[in-house]
Amino acid sequence: MESEIYTYKNTPPKSCANDGLLAGRKAVIQPNMSVHGWLCDAGSLALEGFIALEDATVAARMRNAGAELVGSSRMSELGLGLTGDTAARILASGEADIALVTDTMGEARVAAAGSGLFGFKPSFGTVSRFGLIGLVPSMECFGIFGKRLEDIIDTFSVIAGKDKNDPSMPDEASLDFSSTRKPLKTRCTAGLVKECLDILPERERKAFRKGLARLEEVGLTIREVNLPDFDLFRLVHHIVASVEASSSAGKYDGVRYGHRSSSGKNWNDMYLNSRGESFGSLIKTFLFQGAYFQFENYPAFENGCRNRRRLVRVVTDLLGQVDLLVFPTRRLEHDAERAATINQIYDAFLLTLPANVTGQPSLHVPSLAIDSGKDIGVQLIGSRLDDLRLLSVGLMLSSTAQGGK
Amino acid sequence: MKFEAVIGLEIHAQLNSATKLFCDCPNRPGDEPNRNTCPICLWLPGALPQLSQEALEKATLACLALNCEIQPESAFDQKVYYYPDLPKGFQLSQHHKPIARNGWVDIVGEDGGIKRIRIHHIHMEEDVAKLIHEMEGKTPISLVDFNRAGTPLIEIVSEADMRNPYEAMEYVKTLRSQLRYTGSAECSLEQGTLRVDANISLRPWGTDELNTKVEVKNMNSIRNVGDAIAYEIVRQTNCLEKGETIVLHTRLWDPERCVTLPMRGKFSGPCIPDPSVPRIVVSRDWLKEMEGRLPEMPGQKMERFLKEHGLTPDEAANMSLERDLSEFFEAAVKQGLPPRKVANWMTTHLVPALRDRNHTIGETLLTAERFARLLSMLEKDIINAQAAKEVLLQLLSSEETPEEIVEKGHLRQVSDTAELEAVIDRIIAEHPSDVEDFRRGNAKVTGFLMGLAMKASQGKANPKLLKEILTKRLNSIP
Repeated sequence: MESEIYTYKNTPPKSCANDGLLAGRKAVIQPNMSVHGWLCDAGSLALEGFIALEDATVAARMRNAGAELVGSSRMSELGLGLTGDTAARILASGEADIALVTDTMGEARVAAAGSGLFGFKPSFGTVSRFGLIGLVPSMECFGIFGKRLEDIIDTFSVIAGKDKNDPSMPDEASLDFSSTRKPLKTRCTAGLVKECLDILPERERKAFRKGLARLEEVGLTIREVNLPDFDLFRLVHHIVASVEASSSAGKYDGVRYGHRSSSGKNWNDMYLNSRGESFGSLIKTFLFQGAYFQFENYPAFENGCRNRRRLVRVVTDLLGQVDLLVFPTRRLEHDAERAATINQIYDAFLLTLPANVTGQPSLHVPSLAIDSGKDIGVQLIGSRLDDLRLLSVGLMLSSTAQGGK
Repeated sequence: MKFEAVIGLEIHAQLNSATKLFCDCPNRPGDEPNRNTCPICLWLPGALPQLSQEALEKATLACLALNCEIQPESAFDQKVYYYPDLPKGFQLSQHHKPIARNGWVDIVGEDGGIKRIRIHHIHMEEDVAKLIHEMEGKTPISLVDFNRAGTPLIEIVSEADMRNPYEAMEYVKTLRSQLRYTGSAECSLEQGTLRVDANISLRPWGTDELNTKVEVKNMNSIRNVGDAIAYEIVRQTNCLEKGETIVLHTRLWDPERCVTLPMRGKFSGPCIPDPSVPRIVVSRDWLKEMEGRLPEMPGQKMERFLKEHGLTPDEAANMSLERDLSEFFEAAVKQGLPPRKVANWMTTHLVPALRDRNHTIGETLLTAERFARLLSMLEKDIINAQAAKEVLLQLLSSEETPEEIVEKGHLRQVSDTAELEAVIDRIIAEHPSDVEDFRRGNAKVTGFLMGLAMKASQGKANPKLLKEILTKRLNSIP
């Protein structure tokens, strides 16, 4: 089977339980989410031909809830960025209602922004990572995007919750979904981060302000807040994520699975050649950068970790003053799908990666801030584990959002 | 110039938990290659580590046995290096936040005094896979056996408190004994469940300098540890005397040639915190429970044996060194036997027999109760020492009672005076010249004639009675 948009197409799909919450809904996943018997190569030659032996907890829960997994979309190598990602195309074609993609620096939200859809990244630790073929364990999680926010909420409620196979999930990360689908009763204040607004070009800022006006229309109070450390997010993400990536990609040695170079006199050669031939230049650059911090500049990594803790504190303090933060989702001049260097990737995800650094939930609401037909996006960021309030606010906006299309 | 050695040891002990450290695979590295593997210990894509509660408990007991402070919070790091025996591309090890710090053990130094060796910290880590290098025709190939990958280890890092090979060997012995007591580890250097690396540096006698150290690995017996350190001290002394500088490196002990040789520098990378293994937070209650599980340690037991059983310090030390033997000893004493007799029989006969067979006491059929019955037959003069030794060896592998073995082997001691008198009379009659020697005052003859008489009784004569009769007869000859 060769397809431009699917890595694995599930034909014919298994018949599913038809009384579950997700009965009748079709989902496309990525080949970095394990499904027993499926090719799961995470978009990399390093996993060439790797067939998963077990279901990811997320995959098993979705199927048990009646979802039909139609296949896995092509993805950027090891989930870094959106280059070559086809999940949005599959949703646009109507072959699936929801897509699950790893969100390491904002992939689910930015992909949604590019296709007029809702995109959601849950709080870190609410969804099991068992079976996720990841790259940056402390930042990535399954993100969900799709046309209807209700589909996203239902999917999230199915995949969230403790899993004995992922002991890293904190005990307190259980959410009560019973109240999610009702609109919020209390008034809600959203903090507009001035530093985010400042980096937008004039026209995009105008469009974004229109989006803010829509928030006010549904009853949110907007208050400007300051986050002077905003520039640090990118730096901290870059250092910590590249180090974790270098470490976690160390397992791709061609010994147990994946591409193994046919040349080489000894194991060391085999190792170097296999990795050299497997990885694309983008991921190679990222791994090199991480290795640099690991081996040559460890103090910078330690500093990165310290600053990460500081950013968590700073944002937590801000969220003591307001109920949620509101960011634009993207800047139109920085196209994630065309990013060809690590710097371009970071430019494209500058506004979404803070939530990955801090582990907070983040929801992209489409169609509220359009400039020349393109969506800048309104991105809501909540306190950690306050995912449900975020989704409720999203629901309030969703009628407006869909109406605006 | 006279030099003093400064020695610190890093000791890896394999924990004997039922499973590996982060998965449910059996902790049996010796099984058929790659039998005990799963997606977690093979680190297939999508796997997540799951810390074993049992391994954590066993590690904690081991740390408590070495008088360490269990840390309220510990965590795993990724120790990054690339080698085919390391499926993750890093080893999960507690680099920044070890499970325990500040321990010690007391050893008996060369001068007989007690010396305290401090332990800097103990951390948990996973073992790596085993590489097997073979030839396939003319092509060299390397095979990986992942059975050992992910099995639990603790690494015990001492302070550089040892000054000579003797102290290092005593430290390993004491530590091994304490660890075995907890039941957490087998600790065999020969089988690789205990691995000792020694860091050795020299300094001018009487100074506090800390100089560049050399690490020595690959010692697979306690004796090797002593020999390798002794060799390294001489080697470094020669270097310094020739005016060479010592460079930091690692050497391997070659047990055949009894030398240390430099090994290729092993690349060792950084340690970054692992985001997937949860931090270990120790509650006061849990720690209390662990402390409650700690058995009486050899030092305390030795003190008690001195007081309660009236053993000499040497006997008490011998009887408390290994937990299984100490428990066997006490169980035998409970059957009403004199403790020193039990201790001496265990040290001189039982322990050597176990060593010959390469068995622990638990692996034989001998129980304390059967042992006690044997010794009480000896006490009651039913058998003599010679026969008792023979029965003891049989008891190790036979299910018969000591009494049955004695009867079957006709080992019962002859205490019939008339029978023994007849034997003596015959011996005396057959050796007139020796008797003559005795009369001239050569007392050694008694021993010679005793030997002949004992032989004539096929070793069954009651030796005390036999000697009495012989002495009486010899002295009554005019």
